[in-house]
Amino acid sequence: MTQNNYKDITINKRIAMIAASELVGYRSCFVGIGIPSDAACLAKITVEKNLNLIYESGAIGAFPHTKSYSTGSPSIAHGAEMITDSLSVFSELQAGRIEVGLLSAAQIDKYGNLNSTVIGSYDNPKVRMVGSGGAHDIACLIPNLFTLMPHEPRRFVDKVDFVTSPGSGLELDKLRSKYKLGRGPSLLITDRAKFKMSVDGWYLHSILKDFSYEDAIEGLPWNLKPPASEPIIINQDIISSLDAIN
Amino acid sequence: MIEKISNITEAIKKNINDNDTIFIGGFGHLIPFYLTHELIRQNKADLTICRSGADILFDQLIASKIIKKVIFGYIGNPSVGLSHSFNRAYKSDIIEVEEWTNQSMILRLHAARMGVSYLPSKILQIGDKPSNINYLKSTICPYTGDLYSAIPSLKPDVALIHAQHADKYGNIQMWGIDGDTIEGALASDKIIVSVEKIINNEKLKEHPEMTVIPAHRVTSVIELPWGAYPSYVSGYYSRDDDHYMEYDQISRDEEKLLDYLDEWVHSSKTLKEYQEMIGKERCNSLEKGQCGKK
Repeated sequence: MTQNNYKDITINKRIAMIAASELVGYRSCFVGIGIPSDAACLAKITVEKNLNLIYESGAIGAFPHTKSYSTGSPSIAHGAEMITDSLSVFSELQAGRIEVGLLSAAQIDKYGNLNSTVIGSYDNPKVRMVGSGGAHDIACLIPNLFTLMPHEPRRFVDKVDFVTSPGSGLELDKLRSKYKLGRGPSLLITDRAKFKMSVDGWYLHSILKDFSYEDAIEGLPWNLKPPASEPIIINQDIISSLDAIN
Repeated sequence: MIEKISNITEAIKKNINDNDTIFIGGFGHLIPFYLTHELIRQNKADLTICRSGADILFDQLIASKIIKKVIFGYIGNPSVGLSHSFNRAYKSDIIEVEEWTNQSMILRLHAARMGVSYLPSKILQIGDKPSNINYLKSTICPYTGDLYSAIPSLKPDVALIHAQHADKYGNIQMWGIDGDTIEGALASDKIIVSVEKIINNEKLKEHPEMTVIPAHRVTSVIELPWGAYPSYVSGYYSRDDDHYMEYDQISRDEEKLLDYLDEWVHSSKTLKEYQEMIGKERCNSLEKGQCGKK
């Protein structure tokens, strides 16, 4: 695929290509199904061939070539370099042996708190969702956490309805240090821009080429200044490999 | 050696009582659909079901109104959507819930497997805790002073699991994705296993390292080929992703779901009927699919 205008690339692929660029230098990545899995696969075949993909089902060194529905799907098991049990994978996670994790959710707030449990109140929700799965565990324990979200304004809120997977920022950083946890989300990637975490929450770090500042902040509830960094340009290897992901 | 081979009716009738807590195996792979459907056919009552990541089998049990309580880390139809029956039951308050995370569920089972009453973990100390697990306590390491949550053990009465092979004595051989299946089985007092194939003891002993549960821990073994459909069994058949997608549409509507359960559960009283529901053509195609027969 050769793409002159990034706007011609689908939303999910745009998130995956920015996330893949961020995985350079990492050796082990805890991945969930969906965009996180696509992003890690994309990095693996292009800019970071040494990346080991790890799924909570126990698959390590996995590389799904076809669409996966569950972390235990045939496409995850097929061609994996190792299959162990979930206890082993979560133990590696808690011991700090897995370097980076990718998470997505229904809602995200200014401090990177993620919600995949309920919309509305916990006891009387408007929408009851799937719950944490391994998301809370990854958000607490992984040393480096990237959050991936499609740019749909309703997903970006001042305060999530339920903190399934805890974020970072001033107050949470203190607790993370007290309990010896991972440092929490450091990066938020949308299909339009990249945001980094500060003690005051997310700031707009850089914008994907072909998108404007207005595009990057459209409908987001946070106060976001124009970025100081240059537009994001994606490695050509990644762009040419976008067809390889689902 | 005691022989453990049983039939599905007897195995469930004898070993599962109303009010029991049941671990159900399978992490995307090896989900014991047909074996577990027998709980519905026998109209068991007030069961508690548990595992880390629960998919549409939990949804079917909840829809059948035989469940009092569900203990889980995730409940949904992976990548497709929500567990609609769970959502209806949750919103109308007709089931009790204990909502953990996948790691904490696995630690709960692991603690029971190890014979201890809790395990320390760094998780569940920050973020929102569901009100139904507010009883979770914390603990301090006596050596380092480190702070942990004290994840309580969970010891199910019975585990229902599916595996590739067993011998007639109940030695279980399994490969591919395990998730928390072996953990949950060995945490439980009784273990009932459906398998694709009963193999002889001599053949099993060619690869003792593939035995994951020893005979003396197993209560009953039942040969139920295709018993994990629509999930999959490595070395036998692939996952029927289309079935999961169709289930999402069906389970949105309670009436349609009752028809589905009538066809796939109540009218499939014999394994042959279940296999006929799947159909020869679909079986052939799933056998050729990823992780199917080589």
